Amino acid sequence: MKVAMIGWEYPPFKVGGLGTHCYGLTRSLADKNVSIDFYMPKTKHSLSSDKDNLVIKEVGETEIFPYDRPEDKKLAGQFFENVYRYNDLLVQKVNGKYDLIHCHDWLTMKAGVALKEKMDIPLVLTVHSTEYDRSGWLYPNDWFINIEKEGMEKANKIIAVSHFTKRVIVEKYGINPDKITVVHNAVYPIGESEKKNIVLFLGRLTIQKGPEFFLKAAKKVLEHEDTRFVVAGTGDMLPRLINQAVDLGISNRVIFTGKLTEEEVKHIYQISSVYVMPSVSEPFGITALEAISAGTPTITSKTAGVSEAFQNCLRVDFWDTDEMANKIISLLRYEPLHKTLAEQGNREINLFTWDRVADKTLDVYRGIT
Amino acid sequence: MPSVCFYFEVHQPMRLNHFSVFNIGKNDDSLSTYFDRKLNQDIFEKVAKKCYLPTNRLLLDLINEFNGKFRISFSLTGTFVEYCERFMPEVLDSFKDLFKTGAVDLIEETYYHSLSSLYDELDEFEEQVKMHRQMIKRIFNYEPKVFRNTEAIYDNRIAKKIEELGYKGIVTEGSEKVLGWRSPNFLYKSINADIKVLMRNYKLSDDVGFRFSVRDWPGFPLTADKYAHWMSYCEGDVINLFIDYETFGEHQWTETGIFDFIKHLPGEVLKHKHLDFVTVSEAVDRYNAVGEIDVPWAISWADEDRDVSTWLGNDMQIACFNELRDIEREIKKQDDNDLLHAWRLLQTSDHLYYVSTKGFEDGNVHAYFSPYDAPYDGFINYMNILQDLKQRVM
Repeated sequence: MKVAMIGWEYPPFKVGGLGTHCYGLTRSLADKNVSIDFYMPKTKHSLSSDKDNLVIKEVGETEIFPYDRPEDKKLAGQFFENVYRYNDLLVQKVNGKYDLIHCHDWLTMKAGVALKEKMDIPLVLTVHSTEYDRSGWLYPNDWFINIEKEGMEKANKIIAVSHFTKRVIVEKYGINPDKITVVHNAVYPIGESEKKNIVLFLGRLTIQKGPEFFLKAAKKVLEHEDTRFVVAGTGDMLPRLINQAVDLGISNRVIFTGKLTEEEVKHIYQISSVYVMPSVSEPFGITALEAISAGTPTITSKTAGVSEAFQNCLRVDFWDTDEMANKIISLLRYEPLHKTLAEQGNREINLFTWDRVADKTLDVYRGIT
Repeated sequence: MPSVCFYFEVHQPMRLNHFSVFNIGKNDDSLSTYFDRKLNQDIFEKVAKKCYLPTNRLLLDLINEFNGKFRISFSLTGTFVEYCERFMPEVLDSFKDLFKTGAVDLIEETYYHSLSSLYDELDEFEEQVKMHRQMIKRIFNYEPKVFRNTEAIYDNRIAKKIEELGYKGIVTEGSEKVLGWRSPNFLYKSINADIKVLMRNYKLSDDVGFRFSVRDWPGFPLTADKYAHWMSYCEGDVINLFIDYETFGEHQWTETGIFDFIKHLPGEVLKHKHLDFVTVSEAVDRYNAVGEIDVPWAISWADEDRDVSTWLGNDMQIACFNELRDIEREIKKQDDNDLLHAWRLLQTSDHLYYVSTKGFEDGNVHAYFSPYDAPYDGFINYMNILQDLKQRVM
């Protein structure tokens, strides 16, 4: 079987779960004798694969990432134009004999649909997040929604990263649930190391990820417990969050790291005692699996996709900062809780392999070829 | 000629309120903030309507219909009786009506359905047994002859203590770990005490308790005549069917046909001339022990493991158990009845059951009974309350 997969980011150059997923999925599919041409925009460093049947094909250049917004200043009104231009380029460049096309999220959906029609082969679409998630369900942008809806309608099969996301696809985009398969994400385990007294937030600093709730909970924790809070990552909310920490009077206990390298990310997971993922809307949340795989007990929002699939984590409503603080303090104070969650989490994380993701994805491919 | 010995365990725990770390040490709050009165009342009334009242009525009719040949035994925990007296006295009245028939026996246990039998010293355990004894005396004017410990937890030490307290028999699980090749359908004697042991036939008991409505079980659908036939093939003196009473109408809903099953069971059993029914006291009086059992490590009727790992299987459970046990002396020093009662209500085994992190099969059963989202939430809540209690007395 030969697949043309169209992605946007690929480790080590990535900003989100989409890139992590594409990496794990393509490598495990290649191990199962699927040939993959992985198309993505050119990056500053050239990427290559060590597997014969997995070829990275870089197509043109672009400044856009799947998490960008049209209003971002650096794109200076070029946003829509850039997206259209890149999709057109893809349609020209994807050539060869393929059994199917596999796209990820809105950015390349237009190209995916055009290629399906041009080459007359089936289209598979993986939905890692929707416009509703990225906007935190506040003022979702119709332009994205229309692209997503068209892609979902034209795709032969859709893979959703959680049942939560499947419901959104059915209810908000009106898609037939029968053509949607849920495949939960996976992780390459990071491994444990010695813990420090640190409570971690790691993710894009956007409304979707709920970092302001993390700071509110931090304030409550610090009234009862001596610890440090780390906010790792960057995003449009960074200045606001720094001000918020000052206003709460906790700026001496909160460290903003900015963007971290891959190695730094692993390190911070390993030395943190607690990881908190207070996302307002989280289709899956691979970071939770990464933290758990580093032996770090994790608190996720109840609606996060990962919390429907993974048992050994704590769950809170993202807005319930009292309960979030209660759980953070309990993890810091009660050693048996921390130990049991770390141990049981480590056991359960072994079930979340990219091999399993590839198997389930392959089942979807086989259903339409 | 085997006798069928039905025994039903009747229990409701006092479930806890949401209690966060921020509540700890707010000593102006009364102890009643530990318990979720509304949730507890709702659950009790629901179970009373679905199970206790209709099942009691059915069993009373059956006893009358068969002129007392249908005989059963009950154990009611102290917390259950407190619920009855507080919210629905008619439930307790219906048990009194059953007892008055003379075909119903009552079993002793700890008042609080606690794990006090696992403490280093057995004086707290003894006090709770005596509290239960006084309660049964007060309500039924009766002194039970047979004892059942919480979830049938049993070891040599407990058997010895129960003998000393004057009981003739004790109930536990017919575990292969103890019996080996021997059948549970006989009475045994404790290796170190002069007391008869009734061993639960877990296969036949769980056929009703757990498998009754499982469609892919080969025995499905379980009918009264099929079940009576199975029993008629049993060899031995007594078939001990020990089941949670909430099985009827609560764990197995009316729609599963569980009430029809019970309704037809006495008649189907008595069709077999060599079968009859006995209460636990009658079983102990009528049959001799055929051998000894030696149980140095505690067994129970819970989960697949049938030991105490259900309550003490992970570090969180052990930490809570130790915290609670270790403040006994300080609690008793206070000479405060409300405080003592609260401490004892927290000993009810269910609170630790909710903190179990057992694997898939048992985990589902745990989740069904738990008021918490996950064992970790159960731990945080329970531990926070224990910290508050500790601060009050230390």
